[in-house]
Amino acid sequence: MSTPAIEAAGLGRDYGEVRALEALDLVVPSGALVGLLGPNGAGKTTAMLLLATLLAPGRGTARVFGHDVVGARRAARRRLGLVFQEPTVDPFLTVRENLEFAAGMAGVARRDTRAAVDGALERMGLGPRAHQLARELSGGWRRLADIARATLHAPALLILDEPTVGLDPEHRERLWGFLDTERRTHGTAVLFSTHYLDEAEPADRVLLLAKGRVVADGTPRELLAPFGDAVLEVDGPGAAAFAAALEADGLATLVVPSEGAVRIGLAGRKEHVLERAASAAGLTRSVLRAPTLEDAYFARTGARVAA
Amino acid sequence: MSALATALAITRRDLRRVRRQPSRLLGGIARPFVWLLLVATGYNSIAQLPSGVPYREFVYPGVLVMACLFGGALTAVSTVYDREFGMLRLMLASPAGPGAVLLGRAISATVMGVTQALVVLAAAPFIVDVTPLQLPLVVGALVVASAVSAVLGLLVASRLRSVENFAGVINVLLFPLLFLSGALYPAARLPRPLALFAAANPVTHMVELVRRAVGQATEFSLGMNVAVLAGTSLVAFTLAVALFDPESRLIGRPRPARAPAAP
Repeated sequence: MSTPAIEAAGLGRDYGEVRALEALDLVVPSGALVGLLGPNGAGKTTAMLLLATLLAPGRGTARVFGHDVVGARRAARRRLGLVFQEPTVDPFLTVRENLEFAAGMAGVARRDTRAAVDGALERMGLGPRAHQLARELSGGWRRLADIARATLHAPALLILDEPTVGLDPEHRERLWGFLDTERRTHGTAVLFSTHYLDEAEPADRVLLLAKGRVVADGTPRELLAPFGDAVLEVDGPGAAAFAAALEADGLATLVVPSEGAVRIGLAGRKEHVLERAASAAGLTRSVLRAPTLEDAYFARTGARVAA
Repeated sequence: MSALATALAITRRDLRRVRRQPSRLLGGIARPFVWLLLVATGYNSIAQLPSGVPYREFVYPGVLVMACLFGGALTAVSTVYDREFGMLRLMLASPAGPGAVLLGRAISATVMGVTQALVVLAAAPFIVDVTPLQLPLVVGALVVASAVSAVLGLLVASRLRSVENFAGVINVLLFPLLFLSGALYPAARLPRPLALFAAANPVTHMVELVRRAVGQATEFSLGMNVAVLAGTSLVAFTLAVALFDPESRLIGRPRPARAPAAP
């Protein structure tokens, strides 16, 4: 069996009195796609900076391809490609110059730099913009340049902190397509965080974090299992009472109050439940749909699980 | 080899940035010329130096060092800028480590200091005689002065998190170093505490290197000049590396809980 891209055990960090990350246990195999989900302040960025060797762990251990992030961080860094929340593209350099600079930072030999930069430009579709100053690019293209920057030394592990923030759907699709290609052709492992929960659905594994703690960990299918095969989302002043009634009658597997709505996991008899919703008092909206990671997210960060 | 490649990549980036923002370089060149034209010309008619050297000739090596000092030290603002706007994380994530990052920054700051000083040196024929044999010595002294100034600037920048803070702190530091260096007036007759400060002041020894190169009288030996400048560089660079990436120092040590320093 090959060495995992990431092995973390009890990894944590405090900022003063604030426990930013309690204890992360994580194994990411080579070629895996793993998502970290959670609200702001959940500990996602802290986890990524710890694994990226940029923060010193307060407790626990972590290895990147077998290299300890404390004792062998230079060796670990050689295998890493990092995309931070903040853009790391110099506005006063052209796209090509930015990539040349990044190649130097990543330790790419001078004789290999041109080929590495050309390859990265081509993969991200940045060729026509190679000689444009980064400050003249749109936010989306700047982000793609940032991702090209992170991949030009062919890292075996990519750590991407909210890589799609500010990207329009076209650029998001281009990015995920690129990452998929990297995984299939090079076996690159990808650890990413995102606020767009639908982006995590193709992941091999998803960790939900809240207030520095891992509140759920599994495949998307495992995380969605408690919802059964459908979710009824209801709005209105009578939504909570309606959900309680379904629970009492054994028709709900899970009731999840969230912003302005109640999500109800259904244990079969969907038509019957829909008929009840249609005649229930105080409901302004009721929608039957498939469960999503957003449901799991709300469930694990403040759900009331039906008995 | 990888560390040197990383350092040179940083230098290339810094110099490309300067090429696209020429006002930074032009502003640095204007400062010593303002001193030469407005201060040196004015004092030249009233200042009587014990050595009998005209004031304009006396102050010229000091103005050359001023160009190195401000050119070299102020370039460290790039490090603060990168910390403030996130680029520093990319550099800190380099396998080459913070020493290589600071070396790259020191090289580009040295180039900036020397470039500004060479423009001032081009005015030498109007002020002081520099023979062809003296010229390489002067250039060498300017390289040393710029390099030491660059390292001092990096030390100041190593923990500062905003460009505004850097500008305030660096000016407060550089002006006393310049005024108590013998660059603008002889330091020999200063009150004893200030004379002691001047003797330990690395800028004093930068000025002496240049004075020595153009054949002017100096107070300290060449060995003393070299020892102070080498010692200052070594201590400042070591401190800058240690302070630059606080997380690096924490790694492997037990820590009390405290607020983090964003890398």
